Amino acid sequence: MKKTKQLFACLSLMTLGLGTAQADYTLNLMKGVTKVSNDIYDLHMLILWICVFIGLGVFSVMFYSIYHHRKSKGHQAAQFHENTTVEIIWTIIPTLILIGMAIPATKTLIELDQVQDSDMSIKVTGHQWFWEYDYLDNGINLISRLDEASNKARQPNSGIDPRNVPHYLLNVDEPLHIPTKKKIRFLFTSKDVVHSWWVPDLGWKKDTNPGFINDAWTYVDKPGTYRGQCTELCGKDHGFMPIVVIAEDQADYDKWVNSKLNPVETATKANWTKDELIAEGAKVYEKNCSTCHLADGAGIKGTFPAITASKVVTGDIQAQTQLILNGKGMMPAFANLLKAEQLAQVITYTRNGLGNKVGDEIQPAAIAEMLPKKAGAKAEAKTEEKVVETKEKSVATLEKKPEKSAKKGAEKVEHSAEMAVTDLVAHGKSVYEKNCSSCHGADGAGMPGLFPALKASPVVTGDIKKQVELMTAGKGMMPGFGTTLSADDFAAVVTYTRNDLGNSVGDSLQPSAVKSLQSAKK
Amino acid sequence: MSAVVAEHDHHDEHHDHGPAKGLVRWLITTNHKDIGTLYLLFALAMFFVGGLMALVIRAELFEPGMQFVNPTFFNSMTTMHALVMVFGAVMPAFVGLANWQIPLMIGAPDMALPRLNNMSFWMLVAGVLLLASTLFMEGGAPACGWTFYPPLVLRDCGHALPFAVFSVHMLGVSSIMGAINIIATILNMRAPKMTLMKMPLFVWTWLITAFLLIAIMPVFAGAVTMLLTDKFFATSFFDAAGGGDPVLYQHIFWFFGHPEVYVMILPTFGVASTIIPVFARKPLFGYSSMVYATASIAFLSFIVWAHHMFTVGMPIAGELYFMYATMLIAIPTGVKVFNWTATMWKGAMTFETPMLFSICFVVLFTMGGLTGLMMSVAPTDFQYHDTYFIVAHFHYTLVPASVFILMAAGYFWLPKWTGNMYDERLARFHFWMSAISVNILFFPQHFLGLAGMPRRIPDYAVQFADWNMVSSIGAFIFGFSQLIFLYIVIKTINGGTGEKVTDEVWEDASKHSLEWTLPSPVPYHTWATPPEEVPSEHF
Repeated sequence: MKKTKQLFACLSLMTLGLGTAQADYTLNLMKGVTKVSNDIYDLHMLILWICVFIGLGVFSVMFYSIYHHRKSKGHQAAQFHENTTVEIIWTIIPTLILIGMAIPATKTLIELDQVQDSDMSIKVTGHQWFWEYDYLDNGINLISRLDEASNKARQPNSGIDPRNVPHYLLNVDEPLHIPTKKKIRFLFTSKDVVHSWWVPDLGWKKDTNPGFINDAWTYVDKPGTYRGQCTELCGKDHGFMPIVVIAEDQADYDKWVNSKLNPVETATKANWTKDELIAEGAKVYEKNCSTCHLADGAGIKGTFPAITASKVVTGDIQAQTQLILNGKGMMPAFANLLKAEQLAQVITYTRNGLGNKVGDEIQPAAIAEMLPKKAGAKAEAKTEEKVVETKEKSVATLEKKPEKSAKKGAEKVEHSAEMAVTDLVAHGKSVYEKNCSSCHGADGAGMPGLFPALKASPVVTGDIKKQVELMTAGKGMMPGFGTTLSADDFAAVVTYTRNDLGNSVGDSLQPSAVKSLQSAKK
Repeated sequence: MSAVVAEHDHHDEHHDHGPAKGLVRWLITTNHKDIGTLYLLFALAMFFVGGLMALVIRAELFEPGMQFVNPTFFNSMTTMHALVMVFGAVMPAFVGLANWQIPLMIGAPDMALPRLNNMSFWMLVAGVLLLASTLFMEGGAPACGWTFYPPLVLRDCGHALPFAVFSVHMLGVSSIMGAINIIATILNMRAPKMTLMKMPLFVWTWLITAFLLIAIMPVFAGAVTMLLTDKFFATSFFDAAGGGDPVLYQHIFWFFGHPEVYVMILPTFGVASTIIPVFARKPLFGYSSMVYATASIAFLSFIVWAHHMFTVGMPIAGELYFMYATMLIAIPTGVKVFNWTATMWKGAMTFETPMLFSICFVVLFTMGGLTGLMMSVAPTDFQYHDTYFIVAHFHYTLVPASVFILMAAGYFWLPKWTGNMYDERLARFHFWMSAISVNILFFPQHFLGLAGMPRRIPDYAVQFADWNMVSSIGAFIFGFSQLIFLYIVIKTINGGTGEKVTDEVWEDASKHSLEWTLPSPVPYHTWATPPEEVPSEHF
């Protein structure tokens, strides 16, 4: 018994020692490739040794006591139960040790905080479940996903041995390139949930919070490929969104930047046959859609709808395209994530594969028309970057800005006098979607017991004045829209509700009427 | 006093003092011993449920690649494992111990509020069942981590969110009622000569823990209620698009979450401080410094929460403050470890199973504490954060600490409660199996974390394969070893080794605490008249 106990004690101490003594990759923290990461490593080793030393001290006293002060050896129990001197000593000594640790820790922390005077900036955006990188100085935009080999091998019971996949789960299709010997500032934000960007070789990780921007910096000396992962639980595929950073010297980096800025134009085909679209679409689907809707389109009940026999996919192709472009709920908006070709391919594929046989197709050209204009978007992105530069951290609204102003540009049509009902309805639809649909539903069906339906509603189909009054002042849970909507929007949405959503009253409300109402109120 | 005694005599004549007959006894009981038993058995059951979930996790992580479960279910398992273990197993187990032991140790006839006591227990059961029901829902149990961070929890939680939130409300109400009961009992019902500074340390730690619970459970309930309104009633507490902030949730959560981990560890300290002196045959070293250290730890626990969020993007002043404040915790915690060591020093130790578990607790908890010190240093935490190093750290402070001490408590008091002795040989076998396998299970996770393996991932890069396999093997040995404990407990309740224990059970135990002066097994009603004298060896 005694011997076993001692043996166990020795063994556990040895393991403790082993863990600290070997600087092997699989056992200890890595030193990393930046000065900061080296500082952190030194700090880690310092504290580790302090801990080992304290642990060994306490445990050896304890085990000495366990060995010698046992009843079976005939040891008589002493009856002391306090000693003020000893108690003061073992309060003061740890305090001094802590101060000794706090000094280098503070230095390193302050060093880590010095993001200013950087040579270039990269914005990192977390997505479920991939990374997006924006080079703020030259406009390069990268989408970086788990590479195909890993993705295949990681499917349940794929039959592929991960050991045969190079850099399994730590490889991406589009790595981040950075120049060595340059101070790089990273800005972090997220499109959906909180992620965390961690490359151990750089020495730190940083959370990406939706609506906010964090920053950090690095300065890499040594060219090389450095790998990391997302470290904040972000949903289903949290474990499958790795990070690869390729640090290369300036010349190589410049070469890479050039190749990105001036890509070799592959002749874009004007017309695709349906079979071509379907064949390519299968690949796009696997990479972008199968994570949630599954490879066979079955979806996950309760969370991700099935593609097979889906009402959306087998219904109106325009509606499906709009949904994919703009996203809905957990589904991201793909307008900026995929190219027109890819969108056309994947839409055609979903309608003619995965158990669906609608038979129609959509051409890239048709999609391109529906996409927001690229040039405008770029200009918006530029101004956004400027704001980022100046206003570091308070950018809650930034993310939404380009979208919103683009929309406004499109919607702001000068309404000089009378407007046609059709124009009002068209504009009213977008106002409705933005302001009303979250309660009354996109189709105006409402939510029984909570939000009244607009379809065949006595208010909407009744006296238009009553409706205007109700919408101006609000009622119960319904907010008053008298001051929050512009005259144009107000008139449009009233007209829309009366002539769409299953209603056909036929009358309309003109912006001028709303204006006069508003000024009368004042 | 004489009036009380007279009334009791009167009752005895009518024989309505015993428990109700049959199963109804357990539904309607207001007896602190019955309720304590209910809490302990419920906790034991949940320990196995949560353990089973842990084994699902370790089975999937046995090898790289996805073999058994899909990623969403894996995330549900990590979430539910944590919730079940924290709210279903460890906390109720300590409440069970409090119910059994506090009245016995302070010389009170029962808890101050017996009916509230019954209600606390059944609300706990309802809360846990509500939580467990989400496992069978469309979309599955919550898969967003036990921390429920928004926006993830609002986007991906499916139908489970409202159920999980209401479950948390019920668990919170149950905990608060239990805490009020404990405070009322300790402050009002001590034997006349038991001054506060003569109370056993277990009672002291529970008094402090109860105050922690009352302070933090409403905060947690508030946080999850805000999640609920964000999800269903269009508020934007945590949504930047509506002027909210997702990081705000993390601050509120950890303001609850950090004291919460001390809710699980402070009573652990109390039990260890009760057991070690008995088997060292010496008074506890530094009784008053133990009390003050516990109080300081409790106080510090309220002002260090953001060390769970060093990488969230705080201003440097915030990071420095939370780093310094966190480092301070090492001082009172160190005092405790030194005091336990000094208690053993020059004692006349024997190594029955409760003592083995307690010593193992001191050693392994110290290791968990030391890794905690490492991660209190913000710059190094930038590397450790959300890796398996953290997983190893908090499991060292929970499994070989809280759980081992709960087992020590079981072996220590079960003979007193049942009047039967447990099988010492088998119990020691259980100890060695647990102590060795728990290290095989959690020690390699330090290596994994340092080497760069993030936590909460269902699959990993191949360089992590070896240690994950070792860890999984340890997990299965540890898990199955606990069946020995179950067997021993059942056997002891049903007569044990057949050897009847003395009133003291352990040599000279009555010098340490009041319960050992009562007959074994403890009668259904005790301390109808408070004891005249209380042990005074602390002085």
